[in-house]
Amino acid sequence: MIKTVNLQKLFTTEEVETTALNGINMEIQDGEFVAIMGPSGCGKSTLLNILGLLDNPSGGEYFFWDKEVARMSERQRAQLRKGSIGFVFQSFNLIDELTVFENVELPLLYLKVPSSERKQKVEQVLERMNIMHRRNHFPQQLSGGQQQRVAIARAVVAKPKMILADEPTGNLDSTNGEEVMKLLQELNDAGTTMVMVTHSPYDAGFAHRIINLFDGKVVTENIKEQFHV
Amino acid sequence: MFKNYLKIAWRNLWKQKVFTLINVGGLTIGLTVSMLLLLWVQQELSYDRYNTKWDRIYRLHTDIHVNNSDFISCQVQDAMGPTLTHDYPQIEKFVRLDPARDILVRKGNETLQEKKAAWADSTIFEVFTLPLLAGDPKTALTAPYSVVLSETAARKYFQSTDVVGKILHLNNTADYQVTGVMKDMPDASHFHFDFLMSMSEMENSRSNNWGNHNYYTYVLVRPGVSESILNAFLRDVTKKYIAPFYSEILHISMGKLEQGGNHVRYDATPLSMIHLHANRADQSTIEPGGNIQYVYIFSAAAVFILLIACINFMNLSTARSASRAREVGVRKALGSERKQLILQFLSESWLICALAMGLAVLAAIVLLPFFNQLAGKQMTIDLLHQPHLILYFLALLLIVGMLAGAYPAFFLSGFKPIQVLKGKLLSDNNTRGLRSTLVVVQFVISSVLIIGTIVIYNQLNYIQHRQIGYNRQQVLVLQNTYPLYKQVNAFREAVLRLPGVKNGTMTGFLPTGQFRQSPSFFKDRNTSANSAFTTETWSVDEHYIPTLDMKVTAGRNFDPQHFGTDSSAIIVSETAARMLGFKDPVGKELYEPMDGGQLRVLHIVGVIKDFNYNSLHQAITPLMLRLEEQRGSMAFRVKTDNLPGLVEKIKQQWDAMVPGQVFLYSFMDEEFNAMYQADQRTGNIFVLFAVLAIVVACLGLSGLAIFTAEQRTKEIGIRKVHGASVADIVTLLSRDFIKLVLIAIVIAIPVAWYIMNSWLQDFAYRTTIQWWVFMLAGAIAVVIALCTISFQSVKAALMDPVKSLRTE
Repeated sequence: MIKTVNLQKLFTTEEVETTALNGINMEIQDGEFVAIMGPSGCGKSTLLNILGLLDNPSGGEYFFWDKEVARMSERQRAQLRKGSIGFVFQSFNLIDELTVFENVELPLLYLKVPSSERKQKVEQVLERMNIMHRRNHFPQQLSGGQQQRVAIARAVVAKPKMILADEPTGNLDSTNGEEVMKLLQELNDAGTTMVMVTHSPYDAGFAHRIINLFDGKVVTENIKEQFHV
Repeated sequence: MFKNYLKIAWRNLWKQKVFTLINVGGLTIGLTVSMLLLLWVQQELSYDRYNTKWDRIYRLHTDIHVNNSDFISCQVQDAMGPTLTHDYPQIEKFVRLDPARDILVRKGNETLQEKKAAWADSTIFEVFTLPLLAGDPKTALTAPYSVVLSETAARKYFQSTDVVGKILHLNNTADYQVTGVMKDMPDASHFHFDFLMSMSEMENSRSNNWGNHNYYTYVLVRPGVSESILNAFLRDVTKKYIAPFYSEILHISMGKLEQGGNHVRYDATPLSMIHLHANRADQSTIEPGGNIQYVYIFSAAAVFILLIACINFMNLSTARSASRAREVGVRKALGSERKQLILQFLSESWLICALAMGLAVLAAIVLLPFFNQLAGKQMTIDLLHQPHLILYFLALLLIVGMLAGAYPAFFLSGFKPIQVLKGKLLSDNNTRGLRSTLVVVQFVISSVLIIGTIVIYNQLNYIQHRQIGYNRQQVLVLQNTYPLYKQVNAFREAVLRLPGVKNGTMTGFLPTGQFRQSPSFFKDRNTSANSAFTTETWSVDEHYIPTLDMKVTAGRNFDPQHFGTDSSAIIVSETAARMLGFKDPVGKELYEPMDGGQLRVLHIVGVIKDFNYNSLHQAITPLMLRLEEQRGSMAFRVKTDNLPGLVEKIKQQWDAMVPGQVFLYSFMDEEFNAMYQADQRTGNIFVLFAVLAIVVACLGLSGLAIFTAEQRTKEIGIRKVHGASVADIVTLLSRDFIKLVLIAIVIAIPVAWYIMNSWLQDFAYRTTIQWWVFMLAGAIAVVIALCTISFQSVKAALMDPVKSLRTE
């Protein structure tokens, strides 16, 4: 599970100091699906970046599966990220020069998984995402929904402990968005911890718990259904 | 993983074809130029190393400074070689060469002139690596009147190399038996001969005379004997043999000479140093040598042009970093470490470099013949037989790939994932400063090259037009006029009667010729040490000075018809008069030591204005003229509109008097120009590479201009909507670049001035670098930059603003 204790994040420019996170205390259990909501500028993405080990907090503690990681270097965070965390972004962030297969394969390359094993895993996950028939296409040749399915495939191919989704349906129409949310829910039902930032109450409805942020603080927590490990 | 890097690299290159073309194009030009220049440098540095014993071979040199007169020569006494080998077992062998300058060779009914001939000791094949295709190297040159031919000469005269035993008639005097055929001497040798005749026929070669410096002498030392040991032997020989000679024959004590600040020195130069490090004051070199300065200049040029191409690469890669930023962020988010990203981007740069290298090798092979012509060389690129070239090229590839790719790799891999994934890239200001600096560096280099080119051409022009003390225009030189023998005066008279011929002189000692001679004299009758001197002394006739338009500034010219004593007359140059310390030289006497201890009295009858008989790289040295017959060549001052017709008439006169003898002629101004062939070549190479450097810099500039126009598409659209004209937009886009070019010019001026001033110091007579040279170079750089940028600027300015705003 992951746990934050009094998490702080300050952004300092030449003239202005901004407190993005101001003492966040939260716990997310294994296999839980948590949605983080709040108005623009409340610190959702900042929190997600810290949870995803893309950034360090300015203060407080962050326990990533019992390991305190708040003061880790970029190198150490990269090592920990590999294979443990999958990312799904609003703008998909697929690499245009790589085919669908090669995009999904990327995390396994960084984990130094042998070639035959990589092939098997990628094909498995592409089948699951129902995008196998497009394996040799490039992202520019796919629709938005298809691109996001590829991104999800890439996020899960290494079987990470946790998936972080930053407004995964933000660039999709309602049909595709629904499809993506169902996929994420299936993954969560299969045991993957899910943390999602969203503006959409509909999307948030797929989660076990909704955390509301405002001005860098947790203001409310709504438990939609009781989550049991 | 590496396969993945290459795949991405290839696809990126294909996606961005224009930038790829600019990068590959610029690197190809830079690599091609570097390869050709480095080939040239390599050849220059490898001269004479084809000899397997090159590191044990030395040439002996003379350095005499007596009472303000100098005799610097790579010829030493006839007896030096044999004496050294006899007295010092550490010296294994010696070989002497006496180049013939030219010989006449009978071929059927024709007589041909050959310029590459020399008499050589039979040990030449034991000292130098000159493999024989036929004949025995141990005995080929032992007997008098034997000759070894080069492969080319053998085929020329006998259409075969199986010619041992055949006879060649040389110099209209004797039959020589062919005793061997040798492989042609390699291009990278400080001497080249097609004919080697046996030294045994030269009486001087057996003499113990320590006065005449006739021979080029090389020694092969035993392993372990250093240059300093050899020089110590030479000092020994000077004490043992030369000092007594000076005492007995010249009546000079060596000790007293040295006390007076004079010296008589002999030293050894390693074979590998001869080509590039010859003493500039030495006029006796067998063939014109190279110049280590040019090696440095062209090495630097190769490096700088490559640097410009690498800077292009760096600039374009960092300018387009926004398009790669997202990929960097994603990869880092997925677990890539920075070093993996660095390796990925370095792989891309190495791929581009490998592409460029492949094209460059092809281009170098195709352009090599042209470059050989330009440089006067015979270089080859034969990867099968020159495997070391493959290593050089691979090393070049690695270095250039690293140089060009390192900064972009480190820069791009440093992006923070959370910033770039959100589309918040570093502000362009962070990279703009470095890009601007790199553009300035490129144009500093280009401006220095432009200034250098203008200065070189100014200097060559100055040399062409400077007053050199004689008139070399319209002077027809007939070479090797010895066959005329006693008919020489009749021939001269007959030619002078031809219309268009104004005057004529007979002597081998022409300012543009090869004849040189530096005997010793005394200023006073009692031949004291401090009155001894040595100076160039030429044997000429009374027509010499008027034919060459030289100026008598005191006294008179030779006039044997009216002055019977002119047989012992001397005319000195102004510099010679100063060297002698004579304010009023006319009437003074000089004394020439003769055999048997006699002294010949010479009297000065006139002073002539100095004239340059050396290259303008050297200052004028003292010269004396004596009235003495010398039939080596003839020079005629002509004035005609029909030069070919006149030459034909003279040839007819020649054929009538000496039938069957080859008629050899040239023009003095062409011979003069030949002295500066090396400088002319340097100028041509410099201008070519300056142009290429500018092309590469402009390629980069146009790439940046494309990028800038793309970046500012929205801004241009908005400005146009609000009334900006095409001219306003072009000015906006060009302004920043032109500012950088102007900064580059300001920096380039002192740098170029320093470099070109140093180059000019190599000339005793030189032009000055005027202010307009820098203005002109600056104007050229700005115009070229403007032309490069304006195409992209105008294209961007003409774009429909609706399109540019919709894109955003």
